[in-house]
Amino acid sequence: MKRSLGEKIFTVVNTIIMVLICIVSVYPYLNQLALSFNDGMDAISGGITIFPREFTFENYRTVFSDPSFLSAAKISVLRVICSTVLSLLVTYAAAYGLTRKGLPYRKQLTLFLMLPGYIPAGTIPIYINMKNLHLINTFWVYILPGLFAFYNMVIIRSYLQELPPEMEESAKIDGANDLIIMFRIIFPMTLPVVACVALWLSVGAWNDWTTTLTYITDRDLHTLQYLMMRLIKEAELANSMTMQQAMSKGQEVKAKVTGDTVKAATLIVTTLPILMVYPFLQKYFIKGINIGAVKG
Amino acid sequence: MEQTNVQVMDNKTSTKKKRGLAYNLKKYKGAYLMILPALISAIIFSYLPMYGIVMAFKNYDVKLGIWGSPWADNYGFQHFLAIFKNPEMFKAVKNTIWFGLVILFGGYPFPIILALMFNEIRSKWFKKVAQTIAYFPHFLSWIAVIGLVYTFLAKEGPFNQLMGSLISGWEPINPLMKSEWFLEIMFVSHLWKSVGYSSVVFLAAITGIDPGLYEAASIDGCGKWKQVWHITLPSIKPTMVIILIMSLGGLINVNFEQVYGLQNAFTQLDNEVIGTIVYRQGIMGGKYSPTTAFGLFQGVVSLILVTTANWISKKLTEQSIW
Repeated sequence: MKRSLGEKIFTVVNTIIMVLICIVSVYPYLNQLALSFNDGMDAISGGITIFPREFTFENYRTVFSDPSFLSAAKISVLRVICSTVLSLLVTYAAAYGLTRKGLPYRKQLTLFLMLPGYIPAGTIPIYINMKNLHLINTFWVYILPGLFAFYNMVIIRSYLQELPPEMEESAKIDGANDLIIMFRIIFPMTLPVVACVALWLSVGAWNDWTTTLTYITDRDLHTLQYLMMRLIKEAELANSMTMQQAMSKGQEVKAKVTGDTVKAATLIVTTLPILMVYPFLQKYFIKGINIGAVKG
Repeated sequence: MEQTNVQVMDNKTSTKKKRGLAYNLKKYKGAYLMILPALISAIIFSYLPMYGIVMAFKNYDVKLGIWGSPWADNYGFQHFLAIFKNPEMFKAVKNTIWFGLVILFGGYPFPIILALMFNEIRSKWFKKVAQTIAYFPHFLSWIAVIGLVYTFLAKEGPFNQLMGSLISGWEPINPLMKSEWFLEIMFVSHLWKSVGYSSVVFLAAITGIDPGLYEAASIDGCGKWKQVWHITLPSIKPTMVIILIMSLGGLINVNFEQVYGLQNAFTQLDNEVIGTIVYRQGIMGGKYSPTTAFGLFQGVVSLILVTTANWISKKLTEQSIW
C-alpha cells in the first residue's frame, strides 16, 4: 500500500517523540550510575552527564564496607525469600482449594476473602492490631500480613480453571490423594502463573519500605530500601539546613559531597536486583495484568 | 461460560447441603484444609483490625484497651467534627483532593496517547526496545525514584544544567525546597514512573481491535487522525471507562510513599496530605483516636467515590467493575 506524505511525516514525528520518551525514561538512572562511579569531591562542581568524569570504585567500597548496609541487605534478601515462598504457598493452596469440583460454600468463602480489599480497616487500627499481636519490631511483621493476597489468588485460580479436568480424574482413579495431585500433577502444569506471581511478590517485598517506617525501630531489622530512604532524606536535610554553615567549613562540605556519590552508589546497588530480573518481569508482569484485566 | 459453570456448581452445592455440614467438611476435608491458612490470615490481619475502627468514636487509652476506653463527645463523632475545625487537618483534606484531582485528570490522557503512539511504530524491533525502556521506571521503588528526583533537581544537577543552556542568565534553584513547586514535582515524577506501565492495558485493548475496520476506513478515505478518532478511541472506550472508575478512589488517596518521600523541612508544612498526617500524628505522635477517625473518613469517601462512579458508568455506558 502506498503511503501518503502526511503518513510519512507522522511516522517520523512519532519516532522522534518515542526516542525522546526513551531518553527521558532512562536518563536520570544513567546519570545516577555515572555519579556512583565518580569521585565525590569532583562531583561537587556538577555537570556530570551519563559518563563519570573522575572514575572511581571508592563509593561502592564505602557502601559495601558499611556494617549497617550489610545488615540491611541481609534482612532484605531474607524477607524477599520468606515472604515470596510462604505467601505463594498460602495463596496457591487457597486457589487450589477453591477450584475443587462441587466445593460447598465456595461463594461464601470467596466473598469472605475478597471483602477486606474493599473495606480496609485503616492505618491506625492495623497498627494497633500489630501491636496487640506483639509483631512490632519483629521480623515477622514483614512476612505474616502479606501471606494471603486476594488478587494473586484470582490470577492463580483463573489459570487453574483452564486446566483440563481429565488429568486430575485419571490420577484420582490411580489412587493419588489430594496433596499428591496438587504437588505432582497440577503444580508443574501451573508453573508459568506461579513464576508470574512469585516475581510479583518478590518485587513488592524488595521495594517496600513503608512497613519498616511504620512498624520497625530496631536498627537490626532495617531493610535496604528503608536505609536508602533515610540516606536520601537525611542528605536532603543536611543539604538544605546546614549548607550555609557547611560552606564556611571545608570539612563538612567534603562530608556532604562524598555523601552524594555514596548515596548514588547505594541507590544503584538497591535497584540492581530489579534491573537483573527486569527481562523476566516485563514478560510476566504484562501477562499478569492482562489476565487480571480479562478475568478481574 | 463462567456464569453457567457457577450455576451448575450451585445446583450441586444445594443437593449436597442437605447432607449437612459435617458430611461436607469430611468429604472436602482436603480442600478446606488448603483454604484454611488463607482464612486464618484474613481473619487475623484483615478482619481483626476492623474492630479497631471503634477507636474513631472513642478516646482511646492504651491502658484501658479499645473496648474499655470512654466514648468521644458529640455522640462519638467528636473526632470527625474536629477534622473540619482543625486547620492542619482541613488543609490536608484540601491538599489530598487537589493533588488527587490534578494527578488523576491531568495524568489520565498520557498513557492512552502513549499506547496510541506505541501502536503506530512500524519497526517491531524499535517497538520492543521502546516498550522495554518506557516500562522500566514502574519497577523501581518510589523511594528510588525520589532519590533520582533529588539528584536530578539538585542545584548542580541536570535540571539546572538544562535550564541554564535554554535560558541565558538562569539562576540555579532547587525546586524541591520551594513549596509552590511541590505539586508539579509530584505530577511529573508520577508521570515518569507510571505512564509507560499504565499504557500496557490500553495497548492490549488497541491490539485487540479488528484490523478489517481500519482497512474499510482507509478505503473510504479516512486519514490517520479520523481512524484514531472514529475507530481506535471508541473501540477502547470500555477499557478507558474501567480504568477511570478504578482510579477514582485515588481522588482522596494520594500516594503516601511519594508525598512522604518528597517532603522536606521547607515543603512539609504546606503539603501535608491525609496519609502523612495519620502517620505523623498517629503512629509517631500516638494520637490514635483522631487519626483513626481521619483515616476512616478517607476510607468512606473513597468507597463512596468508587461506588458512585461505578453506578453512573453502569447507567451511561453499561461498563462496571462489579
